[in-house]
Amino acid sequence: MKPNLLRAAIAALMLLAGGNAAEAHIVAARLGDFYMGVVHPLTDLGDVVLWTATGVLAGTLGGAKGRWLIPVFPLGLLTGLLLGQMLGAVSTQLADAAMMLALGMLLAAAAQVPTVLLCAMAFVVAMIRGAANGADLAPETDRVLFAAGLACVGYAAITLTMALTAAFRRTTADSPTSWRAIAVRALGGWIAAIGLMMGSLALAS
Amino acid sequence: MSFRLPLPLTTAIVSLALMQPALAHEQAGVAGGLVSGLLHPVTGIDHLIAMVAVGIWGAQLGAPAIWILPITFPLVMAIGGVLGVLHVPLPFPEVMIAASAVILGLAVAARLRLPFAAAAVVVAVFAIFHGHAHGAELPRAANALAYGVGFVTATGLLHLCGIAIGTLTRWPAGERLIQGLGAGIAAIGCYFLAQGVGAFA
Amino acid sequence: MSAIRYLRLALLAVTLALAVLMRPSAVSAHEAAMGVLEFREVRPGAFVGRWSIEPSIGASRVDLRVPPHCFLRLPEMNCGTKGLVGPITITNLGSNMSVVLIKVVPIEGEPRSYTISTANPVVSVLGTGAPTLEVWLELARTYVNYGIDHILLGADHLLFVLGLIWIVGGGWRLVKTITAFTIGHSASLAAAAFGLIGVPERPLNACIALSIAFVGVEIVKQQRGEIGLTARYPWIVAFSFGLVHGIGFASALAGLGLERRLLPAALLFFNIGVEIGQLAFVLLVLALIWAHRRLDAVVPRWGEALPAYLIGSVSMFWFFGRLVRVFAVI
Repeated sequence: MKPNLLRAAIAALMLLAGGNAAEAHIVAARLGDFYMGVVHPLTDLGDVVLWTATGVLAGTLGGAKGRWLIPVFPLGLLTGLLLGQMLGAVSTQLADAAMMLALGMLLAAAAQVPTVLLCAMAFVVAMIRGAANGADLAPETDRVLFAAGLACVGYAAITLTMALTAAFRRTTADSPTSWRAIAVRALGGWIAAIGLMMGSLALAS
Repeated sequence: MSFRLPLPLTTAIVSLALMQPALAHEQAGVAGGLVSGLLHPVTGIDHLIAMVAVGIWGAQLGAPAIWILPITFPLVMAIGGVLGVLHVPLPFPEVMIAASAVILGLAVAARLRLPFAAAAVVVAVFAIFHGHAHGAELPRAANALAYGVGFVTATGLLHLCGIAIGTLTRWPAGERLIQGLGAGIAAIGCYFLAQGVGAFA
Repeated sequence: MSAIRYLRLALLAVTLALAVLMRPSAVSAHEAAMGVLEFREVRPGAFVGRWSIEPSIGASRVDLRVPPHCFLRLPEMNCGTKGLVGPITITNLGSNMSVVLIKVVPIEGEPRSYTISTANPVVSVLGTGAPTLEVWLELARTYVNYGIDHILLGADHLLFVLGLIWIVGGGWRLVKTITAFTIGHSASLAAAAFGLIGVPERPLNACIALSIAFVGVEIVKQQRGEIGLTARYPWIVAFSFGLVHGIGFASALAGLGLERRLLPAALLFFNIGVEIGQLAFVLLVLALIWAHRRLDAVVPRWGEALPAYLIGSVSMFWFFGRLVRVFAVI
């Protein structure tokens, strides 16, 4: 079980290293702008890390709190995309890093985040990433189809991540020192560390 | 079955360790950032053995160290990394890193049982020095996020390797093996320490 | 009572807006912008090329690359003694132009056709002679990809499958239903591709839209506690509508002008591609259903009818749109 998970994680990482935005644009030529919206965030490391962090945090808090993200997250993506298109492209690196640090710390501390705060954080993450995804669109891209694809993949990714995390944790009343709980908290610590590194690099450059 | 796994793993680590460190600095972009982030912690032998030693020692100490360290260790490393990136000077970085390998190796060899708070402070100080070294040598061209992901993953995996080795303490023979390993780590650390002190002389 | 009516009106407005969004992908999937370029050999190695169907972006803007030993200046192409052997590429295939068919008519032997699509922008032209392993691999790659693209872009087919899953639920019954749908559309796809049956495309597309509306109605019936036809005999419904959808798939293959001896293989690969895409979609839907159950995030009671009305409204919107096009032709 454990080595398999590890191997899958390494494989996913290698896949991510190979994939990039150019691939999403090949998909666009082949399958149209809806699927470009679907693939674009999946090939971006920032999206993958932040979406995973949000989904895992919500998943550990249980379905009663997490299920609010099913509508909130795609709506946030759409809002961010719209704002990004209206206000023009901005670099989201620092905001990304700050959200990674915040989500990671909450996850590592196994904090009982209130539903309102969870929804607000997810909405902010989604808005930042929505704006980032819309930043490098070519002028001929159909914005509406791209937005529809982005919202769909946001919904599917966040729902599946939450459910998988909830299934991995088994019960929310799990003791905080069981190895499953530790694994999830360690992931939070790693994500916070990534956010810290990235933030300092963004500041220094 | 359980004896077959370490061999390819060791081969991989050794082959990575033998690679030119220059390789970690060449590439740019997302893939480059990821690769250099992954390779950075494993290309320096002194870093590598210290990371593994921390994991082994944590496993020897048992709860709560065995579960608090994996959660907080990468974070403390990253704090050191931030200091390194911002070029905040720390005293004698080379000597401290070599000394960390010596002291952690000796702690493993002697099965040193410190109170958790004391052990945490020792590990945290060394983690900040290691993170500082990685942060200071950082390639400027690489994608910041990708480098962070690679760096944290590699560090975390080395730590997990240490914990996995540390679980051998359950068996008496494994216990002795680990103590030998600790002594080896301390010896390698001494070599680097001599080098570091020699650089000053 | 009036509140419910307002809710329904609002729902209708939302679904219509959604349907308008979904329309372009469905249309482009089934009336692809295609170009046909014919090369006729006049002397050994010398060809005259002519667009028999111009692509929508205009023939002059197609970036056509021929094998390096050939000299191309349309309408002439001279390949010397080696003849026309090697890769042909179109580099600027995109959203406005999805498929180009290249027909080569040699002095001796059968005419041959090659399909260049966005999924497969390079084809290797082979000399006369029996198809080699490379030809088969090339064919497999082209048509499996083409099948996947076709099902992924066919929002109407996917919506129908979604409706089936909704009614049947998971488990063994779903496997049987999806298998029946697969057998149905494979059979009619083969029959249509071999020219055994011919149905005009536009009325057929309208029928496909109606089949989705039927599934929507069946979902509503099921929610009201009635046992509809689909709930009782899901595989019969799936099979018979599979027949209809299969003819629809065949219209994507029609007009590609494949060599007759390669047609069965192309058909097989295309079908495999369609199944891969369909299976991926079914697995994704099942995973999402599992996730919703796991999170206790089911549709609230007041919104239970929403998905069925959504499916119904979208399909009726498509139906009327396609009906208009049926009469526009006649």
